[in-house]
Amino acid sequence: MTVALTSSNIKADAPSPGAPDGARQQRLRTSFDVLRLPLLGRFLRWRYSRMLLQSCVLLLSLVMIGHAFWGPQLAPKNLAALLTWVHFRGLVVIVILLAGNLFCMACPFMLPREIARRIHAPRWDWPQKLRNKWPAIILFAMVLFAYELFDLFSDPWWTGALIVAYFALAAITDVLFRRASFCKYVCPVGQFNFVCSTMSPLEVAVRDRDVCGNCATKDCIRGVHQEATSSKDAFTKGALPLVQRGCELDLFQPRKRGNLDCTFCLDCVYACPHDNVGILTRLPAEELAYEGTRSGIGTPERRFDFTALTIVFAFGALLNAFAMISPVYAAERWIADVTGLRTEWPILAAIFALALVIEPALLLGAAASLTRFFSRSDTPLLSIINRYIRSLIPIGFGVWLAHYGFHFFTGLLTVIPVAQNAAKSTGTAWLGQPQWQLGGLPETVVYPLELGFMSLGLIGSWMIAWSIASQRSSNRIALRFAPWAALHLLLYVSAVWIMNQPMDMRGTFLGG
Amino acid sequence: MENDSMRTDGVAKRLPTFPWRTEFVSDLARRSVFLASVGLLALMTNGCSSDQAQTVPVNVDLTFEPAEPMVGDSKVDLRLTDPSGNPIENAAVTLEGNMNHAGMKPSFSELSEQDPGHYSGTLEFTMGGDWFVLVDVEMPDGTTAQQQIDVPGVKVP
Ligand code: SF4
Ligand code: SF4
Ligand SMILES: [Cu+2]
Repeated sequence: MTVALTSSNIKADAPSPGAPDGARQQRLRTSFDVLRLPLLGRFLRWRYSRMLLQSCVLLLSLVMIGHAFWGPQLAPKNLAALLTWVHFRGLVVIVILLAGNLFCMACPFMLPREIARRIHAPRWDWPQKLRNKWPAIILFAMVLFAYELFDLFSDPWWTGALIVAYFALAAITDVLFRRASFCKYVCPVGQFNFVCSTMSPLEVAVRDRDVCGNCATKDCIRGVHQEATSSKDAFTKGALPLVQRGCELDLFQPRKRGNLDCTFCLDCVYACPHDNVGILTRLPAEELAYEGTRSGIGTPERRFDFTALTIVFAFGALLNAFAMISPVYAAERWIADVTGLRTEWPILAAIFALALVIEPALLLGAAASLTRFFSRSDTPLLSIINRYIRSLIPIGFGVWLAHYGFHFFTGLLTVIPVAQNAAKSTGTAWLGQPQWQLGGLPETVVYPLELGFMSLGLIGSWMIAWSIASQRSSNRIALRFAPWAALHLLLYVSAVWIMNQPMDMRGTFLGG
Repeated sequence: MENDSMRTDGVAKRLPTFPWRTEFVSDLARRSVFLASVGLLALMTNGCSSDQAQTVPVNVDLTFEPAEPMVGDSKVDLRLTDPSGNPIENAAVTLEGNMNHAGMKPSFSELSEQDPGHYSGTLEFTMGGDWFVLVDVEMPDGTTAQQQIDVPGVKVP
């Protein structure tokens, strides 16, 4: 499908058809372009499409917040608990698998932030020292921890409080700091989506690199400013009011690679005067094989914060699933017996430290040592880990998909009776009587799906590790690949074991 | 205010600060009595709708057979008394089992009266894990009461 070729500005300078032209292939992405689709493409190219999507999700969030605080305090009957922990989480990963980071695109937290910014324009730039993923990594780990400690999945009130806190944090951050500081440096959901979306089949990318080469304005990053009305204005063009933002996440289209840090906000699409940005199809995970500098990110394989983010992502996937099965009680009880502790948080903190710091350090250290040994080099271990860590993303994503997919598919239709029940509490059953018999797919059907997701993840991880192993030298590729392949297999086997346990969905037990 | 009581109920549900699973289940009877004593609070769990129906305080003593319910059908015995300890007869008693985690289909059961104030029936636990049971009581005079009883740690056979 070479939809991009029909674009007029490309036709003009395209060589005669049939002539094999490597350079032309290089600069032209001959992939399917969602923005060229008749209805969907037109909708997305409409400047207010994002705001419309966000408004819908915002409305839904307000209903959820209302139900969290004033509805029944029983998770299975509360829209906040159900939609957050069953439907939303599941949809996020499934949509990323099938399309792209559409949650960030429709993110409801951005709307109050936009309004707040009209009242108070941000004056500061995000501090240089915090221009990395650490604030978000810490928040990500804290959310995972709070989720287990306070049993958020069984607690509508706290789920509502979390959503409200999220709105507040996004608005405060972006009222104080310019550009998309919250998305890029603070938001844990955003980082989760960014990492996941390296696995998705769609990417916001330029259609023809040559057009960018000849582009004088670079509006995709600078933004479109109001037309100068006098020569004096033209002189100070950058200071004129912005009519269309450029990429607030500092991704300069011609040098952007992959989906990391892209919120699918489409500002670049609206800003580009040459209509040269599309939503193009690509091979999922392909970007993980790429090594090198990219716009707005630098060189991820040299950034330890990206390594830490991937560790929390991949090992957190296992931890989050492990915390739902009964052996975790045994582990907690054992720690309590050994230490004599009688409060939960230190025990849970110990389990977290074990799963997110000690275990990864040992496993990654071992794999990197073997790789170093086989390649007879004296590269520092951390550099090897930083390079290979991205091979953990596919298997990590597979585990998140399996776990959240499990809740999503087994609980798919429960939203109907819960919504009917909520409507009924307004006085009349305007959505009908609650159909409590509605559930979802049976576990026997969902289980093979889970296995499929995780197996795809394993294969993906192996492919990426192989490509990393073969990137710098063609010697002993298999030997350098093997330790990482073994690590992926270990994670896969642990995940399969976890998914084979009955999901205990504990609430009261750890929640002391 | 109503909201506050709901929170209090949420806290009461997990008052024992380190309730290991086994102790918890064998303690079921004691816990039911404990919960019954905060029955008025439990009545508020139905949120806004609770002010429409007239509600009354009742004591509910719920036991399962086997005492630690497993996945599958469990036999249920329920004793219903008024605050002064007299059995309540001819009430319509419905149970609704739910998991703590959202996204699971509830299971329902109607109990039938065996002796005065003693109701029994079966309830199906469809999955291992932590459950709670909502006991809905409709008195012969039309007044209603609802109570929530935790059933943690339903085992998979
Ligand atoms: S994407 Fe558009 S605005 Fe950006 S450099 Fe290319 S042609 Fe210029
Ligand atoms: S403006 Fe930046 S974040 Fe938004 S879609 Fe374009 S590249 Fe992605
Ligand atoms: Cu789970």
